[in-house]
Amino acid sequence: MKIKVNGKDEILKQGSVSVEELLKIFKVESPDAVTVQLNGEFLKTSDFKKTGLKEGDVVDFLYLMGGGRCR
Amino acid sequence: MKDLKFVTKILHCKFAKEDAHGSLHMPVYDNVTFEFKSAEDIELAFAGKKPSHMYSRISNPTVEHFEKKLKSVTNAIGVIALSSGMAAISNTIFAIASTGDNIITSKHLFGNTYSLFEQTLKDWGLATRYTDLTKVELVESLIDKKTRAIFLETITNPQLEVADIKALSRLARARGIPIIADTTMTPPYIFDSKEFGVDIEAISSTKWISGGATSVGGVIIDNGLYDWRKNSKLARDAAKYGPFAFLTKLRREVYRNLGACMAPHNAYLQSLGLETLAMRADAACSNTQKLAEFLEGQSKVRLVNHPGLKRSPYFKTAQKQFKEKPGAVLTFDLGSKQECFKFINGLKLIRRATNLHDNRTLVLHPASTIFCEYSPELKKDMGVRETLIRLSVGIEDTGDLIADIKQGLREIK
Repeated sequence: MKIKVNGKDEILKQGSVSVEELLKIFKVESPDAVTVQLNGEFLKTSDFKKTGLKEGDVVDFLYLMGGGRCR
Repeated sequence: MKDLKFVTKILHCKFAKEDAHGSLHMPVYDNVTFEFKSAEDIELAFAGKKPSHMYSRISNPTVEHFEKKLKSVTNAIGVIALSSGMAAISNTIFAIASTGDNIITSKHLFGNTYSLFEQTLKDWGLATRYTDLTKVELVESLIDKKTRAIFLETITNPQLEVADIKALSRLARARGIPIIADTTMTPPYIFDSKEFGVDIEAISSTKWISGGATSVGGVIIDNGLYDWRKNSKLARDAAKYGPFAFLTKLRREVYRNLGACMAPHNAYLQSLGLETLAMRADAACSNTQKLAEFLEGQSKVRLVNHPGLKRSPYFKTAQKQFKEKPGAVLTFDLGSKQECFKFINGLKLIRRATNLHDNRTLVLHPASTIFCEYSPELKKDMGVRETLIRLSVGIEDTGDLIADIKQGLREIK
């Protein structure tokens, strides 16, 4: 499955995964501090697990240093 | 484990990164700058794509941990720590308002906040509209297209007035403006600001949070309730950062450019303070209630004011909003300014000092101190009488405080 992560084209061998799984696959640093934008919309942290990714999705990881994150 | 309670959450808040030496307390990173392994890493950090600190005026590990601990006991989307409570208020206003805008508040404000609005910000073209925030219809009549916020103190100082915050937030929501609350007198643990519809909290953490006046500090808490697309100054940020528009505006512009950062050492002290906030608040609120009831029975005392007294017009609202902990400040009136001074000078235990929520009980004559720069007419308008004494009640043994007050009152013949 092709998606775009932080501006780069990526191919996920695992197929469709959740945002939470994507954070693990990409070994995102400080996953409890990251803010995730999916197709331009900010996700709540509580939705990471239930939000599945699909072909062509655009994902951005953003750090607002100092506690800025969705719950 | 899930569903941890207030104190447990604070004590067991995890570090953002594992400490190299296994420290139980976040160490004081008293340095200025942080090194990167490559130019690419610095680029990612500046773009917000890498969780790294760059420069301590913008963010710092010790300060970040303090912010994280505080955030863990709120339902906020973000917390920013600053150099003082006044920095928290001024940064908030600078982030949301411009020349020609206005904010609505009460004249019953902390003296320095009134000065900020009436002098400092007025010179930059921000109008402040004063009204009685306990009367929602009066507030509504002042809102126009240039109104950027309703600003309130959850318990005003020293009037100890308590507005119905849910009613104000319903109005604010309907009119598309945020509620900014100075919750210094009722920080998290006492007041769940999000439940009552407060959008932004601005707190002097110097008081309760620091551990009882260990250090100067302030915090801004964004509850994530307000749609920043409705604020003309933040609309562009909202398009890019969504609910984080206000926090981003602060972190990447206003807070960064004004330089009102919290010192790492203060963040360390304030993190320790947070750990005992609940116990101190319980003790001080309980003492305050007992002292207020004691003072009511004293013939030389003319009037006692505390929202925890059943005859207070704010009793019911305070009980509802502050989980039956209506603060640890009380005021009372004696016969004259001279009597106030005799009482204050007669105290042997209670300290003569200007602050709130020290662990020690502090006494002050507001009219001749924190409101001394204002005219008699304005002081009257602000409810600051020459006969008024303020007690910020600490955590001492109640009997010792009552004994000291008794001897102070004996000085009045």
